[in-house]
Amino acid sequence: MQTGQNDNKKNVRAPTRLLDPGVLSSLSNLELVAKAVVEGFVMGLHRSPKFGFSQEFVEYRSYVEGDDPRHIDWNVFSRTDKTVIKLFKGETNSHLMLLLDTSASMGFGVSRSKLQYGKYLAASLAYLASRQHDAIGAMIFNDEVVQYRPATSKSGTLQSVIHTLDKAEAVEGTAMHKPFSRFREHVKKRGLVAVISDFYCDPEALLENVRPLALHGQDVILFHLMDPGELNPDIKESTLYEDMESGEAIEVSPLFMKEDYPEKIKAHIAAIAKTAKGMNADHILLNTQEPLDRALHSYLTFREKRA
Amino acid sequence: MSLLSPLFLFGLLGIALPIWLHRLQTNAMEREKFSSIMFLEQSQQRVHVRRKLKYLILMALRILFLVLLMLAFTKPVFFVPPEGAVTEDTNHHVIVVDTSFSMREGDSFQQAISQADDIINNMGTDDIASLYRASGTVQTVSTATADQAQLLAALETIEPDNGHLDIGAMIAALDSLIESSQANFILHFISDYQQSGQAVRFADMIPDAINGRPVSLNIHQVKSAHVPNWSVASVEVTEIDKVRVGLKNNSAGDLGAEKTVSLVINNGTPQSLTQTFTAPAGGIGYITFENVSFADGDNRLDVTVTPNDSLPDDDRRYTVFDNSPPAPVILLTANPDSLAVTYITTALETVPRGYEVEVLNLNDFDPRILQRYPWIVIDDIGAVNESLAQQLQTYVDGGGAILAAVGPSMAGRQLIPVGGQTVGGGLTFSRNTDYSVQRVNTAHPVLNRASGWNNLVISRILPIEAGADSNVLINLSGNIPFLIERNIGLGRFLLLNTNLDNTWSDLPVRSVFVSFISEAARHLSNEELLVKEQTINSFLQLGQSGGASGQVYDPNGTSLLSLAATTRAQNIPLTETGYYRVVTLGRDVLVAVNPDARESDLTIMDAQTLQNWETMVAGSTGTTSLVDGVAINIADEEPVALEFWRVLLVLLAVIVLMESLLGNRYLRFNTGNT
Repeated sequence: MQTGQNDNKKNVRAPTRLLDPGVLSSLSNLELVAKAVVEGFVMGLHRSPKFGFSQEFVEYRSYVEGDDPRHIDWNVFSRTDKTVIKLFKGETNSHLMLLLDTSASMGFGVSRSKLQYGKYLAASLAYLASRQHDAIGAMIFNDEVVQYRPATSKSGTLQSVIHTLDKAEAVEGTAMHKPFSRFREHVKKRGLVAVISDFYCDPEALLENVRPLALHGQDVILFHLMDPGELNPDIKESTLYEDMESGEAIEVSPLFMKEDYPEKIKAHIAAIAKTAKGMNADHILLNTQEPLDRALHSYLTFREKRA
Repeated sequence: MSLLSPLFLFGLLGIALPIWLHRLQTNAMEREKFSSIMFLEQSQQRVHVRRKLKYLILMALRILFLVLLMLAFTKPVFFVPPEGAVTEDTNHHVIVVDTSFSMREGDSFQQAISQADDIINNMGTDDIASLYRASGTVQTVSTATADQAQLLAALETIEPDNGHLDIGAMIAALDSLIESSQANFILHFISDYQQSGQAVRFADMIPDAINGRPVSLNIHQVKSAHVPNWSVASVEVTEIDKVRVGLKNNSAGDLGAEKTVSLVINNGTPQSLTQTFTAPAGGIGYITFENVSFADGDNRLDVTVTPNDSLPDDDRRYTVFDNSPPAPVILLTANPDSLAVTYITTALETVPRGYEVEVLNLNDFDPRILQRYPWIVIDDIGAVNESLAQQLQTYVDGGGAILAAVGPSMAGRQLIPVGGQTVGGGLTFSRNTDYSVQRVNTAHPVLNRASGWNNLVISRILPIEAGADSNVLINLSGNIPFLIERNIGLGRFLLLNTNLDNTWSDLPVRSVFVSFISEAARHLSNEELLVKEQTINSFLQLGQSGGASGQVYDPNGTSLLSLAATTRAQNIPLTETGYYRVVTLGRDVLVAVNPDARESDLTIMDAQTLQNWETMVAGSTGTTSLVDGVAINIADEEPVALEFWRVLLVLLAVIVLMESLLGNRYLRFNTGNT
């Protein structure tokens, strides 16, 4: 880990810059992106006493299948013939499932697509979780489950998850019911569920699909990605907009886009947030122009609360 | 519409450019992707529809611009019929006025003009007409037009002439003058309908129907009743002091009339005689003037009959009597006492024209006198030495002519002097009684009147090879030439392959010899070209004699040839009655020209014939070769080419303006309102 930090210090001078999506876009490797984000984020955290990410030993626990063998305390094994692993402060051995929406609307973006931003976010979360020895899994979905990788802490999981994320492409429409039903069937353990989407859906439908997860004991956090072009569109003339998912076209006037549309989208966001709150989930609205640190902060805070 | 430069149509491929560009624009700018339209509302103003419409109009304008530009380059033209164009409903009146000599009778011609005038004035509003005069030839007076004033003005220019009309020839001539069109053709033939004008083959008078266009005939007869007519049929000098005049009553069955015939010789000098004569009913009656004296050379004999009848122009006849002394001709010989000289001299003095033969010894001959004689005779060409041969060559080359025979002097010579023909194999003589005449070119003027050549007995000949530039007129068996003609420069050289003393052949004692000598003399002296009695509209043939064809004066004394034309052979049309004068080197000849005697017979075609003719024309199925039918002369009916590229340029300017305005509006940002 120290080596990785040193490498980052060599490559990136300003930690905050590492979190800028514009800078991250220049990195071709998603794992490298995630590493750069998390290392930069952790460097920033060292200045804060509140959020310690130390190597302070807390207790031992018996090795169970699925644990990383690298964490086995071989000294104890040599003395007692028992395989135990060391637990450190801040580590709770949680599960993190990343649910990335790859519907066609996620392909929208003025400078970069929401899907790209979502990939950065998901990879960074996976990297951060991996660093804390959390089991990580991922599900890529649109109106179907495109890819599903169950949460595990096995060696190579991070690379596998990042690879899965990297291959995701924005196609088809959004229908949460089917993928979420399938997700509920596969997830048995309690853990963290991070849903990354633009949530162009009915809040009621969202509630209907996500609430069972909350009732199942999952801690759900909704990362609501919005592009500046969606939040504050600026057009000079009447424009024929084509829905990226349905292909349907509609002509809108600049006046409407300037005055009415922002209100409507704000109301929608508020409705999503309200829905999340109603099922005890967190709702994080992310502008794809923002750095990723706020998202990571939110994740750690959320994880802290759960712990 | 036709395109003068159709290759520019390839430029139309250029319209692919605006189409492609607009398609790109449409694809790139027509729609904008948006993540979700679930929060969007339809604008009340369908701006993009109007915009798309504008866009399409703009593209259409640009395509139209390119199309019109290319069209302008291709030079499109419309061929439109001219004003008053001929259609299938148009009647084309083909008005043919007979102007032959017989139309001078009484008021026939005035009536013809009057009838033509009526036809023109009664033309329909959509009708057109063309006007022709027909006599010995058919001439266009006015091409097809609907302009009555133009037709009437053209009609006034028509005058009767002295020609003879043959209706079959007239139909054929119209054939070449008139071109086809879509009109209905009505042939108006205004004539006295002389029986003598009827074609030998009746079918030749039927005009063809071409392109399915109907042809109809309207007969306009200027006289329907028989008109008696007298004419001077002949004037002959029967004896040196007697002139016989034949007076013809052209109307069979008519009674005789008392006529006074006057003979004026050389315009009243030296004498003029008048005698009263009662002509018989029908046929020819004769009257003889006695104690008539003539001047030397050509005499003018004017015979007139009084009182005049309704066709006075044939009551006068022009005749030429040649009272010239015998023409001199040289006979060059090495032996003036030979039989050959006797035979030649006798023959030349016997022929009707009469020649005064001057026998000159070759040894004493002065070639400088050659230019005085249009032709000469040499009885033995082999006796001519090299020096004289050269002089004779020059003489012939300048337009003179020689009639020569071979003889004993040719012994040992390889070439015929002057003529240049070779004597084959170096042989001198061969005796073969089997020689006979194999072929006679009777088309040649020297031989076309003679017969009896095949009966010649030929005992000796000279094996002459004629050569490529010589014309063999008589061939013997074995393909040996007997009579050869060669044109040398402007003159002629005529060679007989026999001697003329009755030892090699019996030609000199045959009757054919005299006629041969006579025709050879006419041919070599160019007299054959001048026929002193000619019919109007025939041609005077002038050959080259002495290096010049000579000057010709018409009956009014006007010279007809330019200075340059006097050096060339000429065919001069004789268009006026009277005396033409032909003046050549050393000669002054008169040619009398009279109307065609057939025109004096005023007997008209019978009514049945005319009716049949009219009927057959109406039902014509094209029995004659009237190539284009009796149709309109469409020289003025050529379609008018209307070029409209200028119109296209104006349209282009308008389109450019519209495109600019529309394009400007299109590019303007539309803020839109809900």
